[in-house]
Amino acid sequence: MNYLLNISPIVASMLVVLLPFLAFLMQALLGKKFTSGIFSLVAIVLSTILSGLFVFAEVWNATPLQADYSWFTIGEKTFCFGILLNNLTVLMQFIVCIIALPVHIYSKSYMKGDAGIHRYWMYLSLFCFAMLGLTISKNLLMMYIFWELVGFASYLLIGFWFTKESAVQANKKAFLINRIGDLGFLIGLAILFSTFGTLDLVEILGKDGLLFQEVIDHNSGLITGAGICFFLGAMAKSAQFPLHLWLPDAMEGPTSVSSLIHAATMVAAGVFLLSSIFPLFNCTVLLIIAIIGTITAITAAIFALGQYDIKKILAFSTISQLGYMMVAVSIGAWDAGMFHLATHAFFKCLLFLSAGAVIHEMAHLKAHTHQDFDPQDLRNMGGLRQYMPKTFLLMSLASLALAGFPLTSGFLSKDAIVISAFEWALQQGDLYLVVPIILVLVSILTAFYIGRLIFKAFFGTLRVNADHAHLHDAPKTMLIPMAFLGICSLFIIFSWNPFSYANAAILNVLVVNYTFPEIHFLHTIVPVTLTASALLSWWIGYNWYVKGKYPLNASSSWIHLAQNQFGMNEWMMKTFVSPTVKLGKISFWFDKYIVDGLVNGASYLIKQLSGLITWIDKYIVDGIVNAVAYLAYELGNALRFVQNGRLQNYLGFTLTMVLIGIIYLILK
Amino acid sequence: MITLTHFLVVSACIFCIGLYTVIAKRNAIMILIGIELMINAAILNFVAFSKYDKINYGGQVFALFAIVLAAASVAVGLAIILNVYRHYKTINPDNITDLRD
Amino acid sequence: MGLLSLLIFLPLLATVLILLLPATLRQSYKYIALGFTVVQFVLSGWLYSQFDNAATGINQANGFQFLEQLPWIRLDLGSLGQLEIDYFVGVDGVSLPLLVLSAFVMLMAIGASWNITKSTKGYFSLLMLLNMAVMGIFCALDFFLFYIFYEVMLLPLYFLIGIWGGTNREYAAIKFFIYTLFGSVFMLLIIVGLYFSVVNPETGANTFNMLHMMNPNNYVDGSFFAYLNNYYEVLGIPARMLGFIVLFIAFAIKVPIVPLHTWLPDAHVEAPTPVSIILAGILLKIGGYGIIRVCYSIFPDAAADANWWLGLIGAVSILYGALNALAQKDLKRLIAYSSVSHMGFVLLGVASLTAEGISGALFQMISHGFLSAALFFLVGVIYDRVHDRYIYNFRGLATHMPAYTGFVAVAFFASLGLPGFSAFIGEAFVIIGTFNAESVGTGIPRWMAIAGSVGILLSAAYLLWTLQRMFFGQTRFKGGEEWATLLTDVNTRERIILFPTLALALLLGVMPSLVFDKMNATVLNLVSLVSQYL
Repeated sequence: MNYLLNISPIVASMLVVLLPFLAFLMQALLGKKFTSGIFSLVAIVLSTILSGLFVFAEVWNATPLQADYSWFTIGEKTFCFGILLNNLTVLMQFIVCIIALPVHIYSKSYMKGDAGIHRYWMYLSLFCFAMLGLTISKNLLMMYIFWELVGFASYLLIGFWFTKESAVQANKKAFLINRIGDLGFLIGLAILFSTFGTLDLVEILGKDGLLFQEVIDHNSGLITGAGICFFLGAMAKSAQFPLHLWLPDAMEGPTSVSSLIHAATMVAAGVFLLSSIFPLFNCTVLLIIAIIGTITAITAAIFALGQYDIKKILAFSTISQLGYMMVAVSIGAWDAGMFHLATHAFFKCLLFLSAGAVIHEMAHLKAHTHQDFDPQDLRNMGGLRQYMPKTFLLMSLASLALAGFPLTSGFLSKDAIVISAFEWALQQGDLYLVVPIILVLVSILTAFYIGRLIFKAFFGTLRVNADHAHLHDAPKTMLIPMAFLGICSLFIIFSWNPFSYANAAILNVLVVNYTFPEIHFLHTIVPVTLTASALLSWWIGYNWYVKGKYPLNASSSWIHLAQNQFGMNEWMMKTFVSPTVKLGKISFWFDKYIVDGLVNGASYLIKQLSGLITWIDKYIVDGIVNAVAYLAYELGNALRFVQNGRLQNYLGFTLTMVLIGIIYLILK
Repeated sequence: MITLTHFLVVSACIFCIGLYTVIAKRNAIMILIGIELMINAAILNFVAFSKYDKINYGGQVFALFAIVLAAASVAVGLAIILNVYRHYKTINPDNITDLRD
Repeated sequence: MGLLSLLIFLPLLATVLILLLPATLRQSYKYIALGFTVVQFVLSGWLYSQFDNAATGINQANGFQFLEQLPWIRLDLGSLGQLEIDYFVGVDGVSLPLLVLSAFVMLMAIGASWNITKSTKGYFSLLMLLNMAVMGIFCALDFFLFYIFYEVMLLPLYFLIGIWGGTNREYAAIKFFIYTLFGSVFMLLIIVGLYFSVVNPETGANTFNMLHMMNPNNYVDGSFFAYLNNYYEVLGIPARMLGFIVLFIAFAIKVPIVPLHTWLPDAHVEAPTPVSIILAGILLKIGGYGIIRVCYSIFPDAAADANWWLGLIGAVSILYGALNALAQKDLKRLIAYSSVSHMGFVLLGVASLTAEGISGALFQMISHGFLSAALFFLVGVIYDRVHDRYIYNFRGLATHMPAYTGFVAVAFFASLGLPGFSAFIGEAFVIIGTFNAESVGTGIPRWMAIAGSVGILLSAAYLLWTLQRMFFGQTRFKGGEEWATLLTDVNTRERIILFPTLALALLLGVMPSLVFDKMNATVLNLVSLVSQYL
């Protein structure tokens, strides 16, 4: 028994990754016969336990561990299966486990009765396998493999209801946009490989995976290129502007999937990647990341304002928060980014699960009353507080965390980012102040749109006719995971001090040396401003949406524009997709008529030429032969009369010839 | 003085008459006679030229030989003509054109 | 008789047997073909397991394994010297994986031919003849022998397409035949030129031995292809460069490269499914194999000069093939164009002249070998049932044929380079190797690697788009109810063929060492052979 309990962290972390894979295989083999998802559940429970007890507890705040298993040799280079366990990776792995577990439990009743449930469990386990593998990969090639596999699992899950046209359009879009990022990642790998001759993170970055090996010029174009390529990969996966377009569409998948993949874990992989290779980035790249992150945060917040679909609001909110994390990475405070990633994972997951519960009820209502309305549309909801009090409570808690209200986890992590951003900007110069100011603005907008969601959905009265008896809280299997996440959204999980992030365990363990000095008064003024402005925006929201004093024109073109994401989808369609398809058509035309035309033209020419030669052969070469024969015939014919049978004529001819001969001889 | 030339002129005249007869006459017997005339012209030449061969008299010998041959060939020729007449009921060579193509 | 000879001539035995059996035993032909191919496959597996990974191959006879050398034609030509043609076969790290692949694809092709009813005697005997020829090509080390196998291969293919093909089969068969012949007749000229330039150091006679041709010391000074003192030019092109170009074109037609690829869509579309499988699975690989075995090894100096152009052709093929595939409405034609695109990676990787690039290219050949075979087989599945493969005539197949859709999805994702499947390893290492080429100084610029990676993006685009158009959404067929009854899900035979193929793609994707270990020493030897001329 003791032996069993003494699993080394390396083995344990491998088991954490492999258990969901095993579940995936079992589910794939058993197929439709097995729909309870017990394999996936057991696998994720075991993974979580192993990850928590034998990996996280052992490695967190202790010596990093690594292991290599030779994989294959190509040329003179050997690639290894490598496992790297340091603070960053075990934290990420643990977060993934701890989020995946409640989602699995929630799914059990949320997805009950779906015809494709066996596929659901299969895909979910596949996702967990890939995501957990991603977190502990030591070799960047392996990380890339898992990176794409999570994209693949996401593709499968977005298109889970594959008979729905919008779902299959969305999953194609998601995969293709992610592919753009993957190419960035791949080129980045190529750059690193040609610079360092290895793809091993430790060999590139140094012993504990966090130091930069100063073998080449840090500011060379190639390293900048590598940084931009990796960021491109992170941009696609973490839905950064302008590659964020896939994420709102990805909401076509089941809501539980959205909460796990498209809110808490997979989309955060970009931030995780940037954090793990952070020493690679130079100032140019970091500045680009800062700019993109800021743009993402503000645009997504604006887009969220105009949405009516409850899931889309949350999706844009996710994008916006990912922008925050990117900014955190770019200013060098990637520990703050990871901190926000951790807190965000919990409360965003909870938001989605609550939204799922709401949608679930609305869909039931729709089916029950045979009305035709969109169960996800906020305009059809209202007053749900009375019917689903527990859901309301949990969702409000998560919303407070999202808005960064004191006592919640979001307060700590958001403050960490905003304050660091201010400190960074003050050190860098005036123009850089734009970044933290926009972040503050985004924070206010965030409070407003999430307040709008809560007010519209839970306050007032239900806007569709309802047989009220059928609206009730979600079943226990859904509520318990939600409650668990709710607890995790509180400050106490991350820090004993609710008002200062300085005590947060994550920040204390992930030691990062900031390049900028700490400015004390910011630590008071920023949280106070943020909280006050959040309260103000809620007061406005309450007046507008609950009291009904809505001052704006709901059909104004601005709101419409925000809802449409400024027409970016259409613009992308027009600038990239259609021209590519058109280029394809043109090149096929070219292939068919020019390239193949040349081939067929050549064969036509040769045929014509051979026709010409046949003509020459028939009429000229053979013509000469026939002409000779004809000539001989005609000559003979002309002399025929000589042979007339008259003996005397013969003699006469003979005589003539003799005479001619004689004359010839005489004349000669 | 009768010289060699005189003989040769007479011989040529006889040969020409014979030739004319062979080509122009419409009677096979006349053609046969024409052939005889031509042979005799040749014989005359033999005899005339034999003055240069006074030892062997080759010319005379050949003349005698030719006369015998001529007689024999006339016999054969007449026999052919007789058969032709029997077959074609004519001895006009113009009417016998079996050799034509 | 050595193992390789056995491998090569077993199918010939099958051909003879099939031809001798009376028509009343018609049913047994396919079993004979299957039996012989299985034996062949087992034999190739045995070769694989016995292969010594340290074999360097390429230009050293002792680096080859399972060598067999027998004098074949010895003719005294008087003043022209002695004609020396050997029966000379052997395998190294480049040819062994392709040999195993060929045996595997042949097995698939026999499986796909199970329902052929039109004159089975001719069909299976031609198929076996073809089998012999491709095995011979991968083993031959004597250029004359190589050429004979190369030409013998054309004949059965011509008839297989021309007799058992689709509606426009005569056109496609003739196009294919003329195109390939166009390349190979000029190849013959170069072979003769090489013959007169190279002498066997042991006997002093001219030789067709490829390994002798790879050694600069065996060239007669001042001969047409000599390394030293060579002032021969044709149209301003130095003789050795000309030899390289002509041989390259001969093999490039097979690969095929843009713009010499137009035989491929026609041949694929018109050919019956098994022949498509062989075309895509084996024939295209002969092109890549020839470029490595012949062009790069015999003319390394010219190859080092020309590799920028080769890389360019590769990059253009990748993008051009992918764009064309994007515009296709016929599923089989789409896959044919995707072959052009994927084979572009082979050329790009070989041209990169880095160990990673060349290994990637070889791996891509193997991977494309059975993946494209699987894709063509999958097209054959619906074509067999409703005789239609127009993409827009199908919709929502996923609900109607779930298992089939599963196979298609796996095959599609595998060939668009999803990690975990073999194509990913091939493509990723071609890109990494090509990118590395500029650092190593082999003359391939980095933008070619980036262009290649755009090709990966495009391949995802056309395959996913197809998946969305044909398989997802609400079920709707052009043929209505009639099609719905005809379109039954994959049967056991089809599963038996598809499952191992896709499993192999997965296996090689997870354990690429199965192939890399065999070829590593050879690839390094090739790189050092060529890079001394850079």
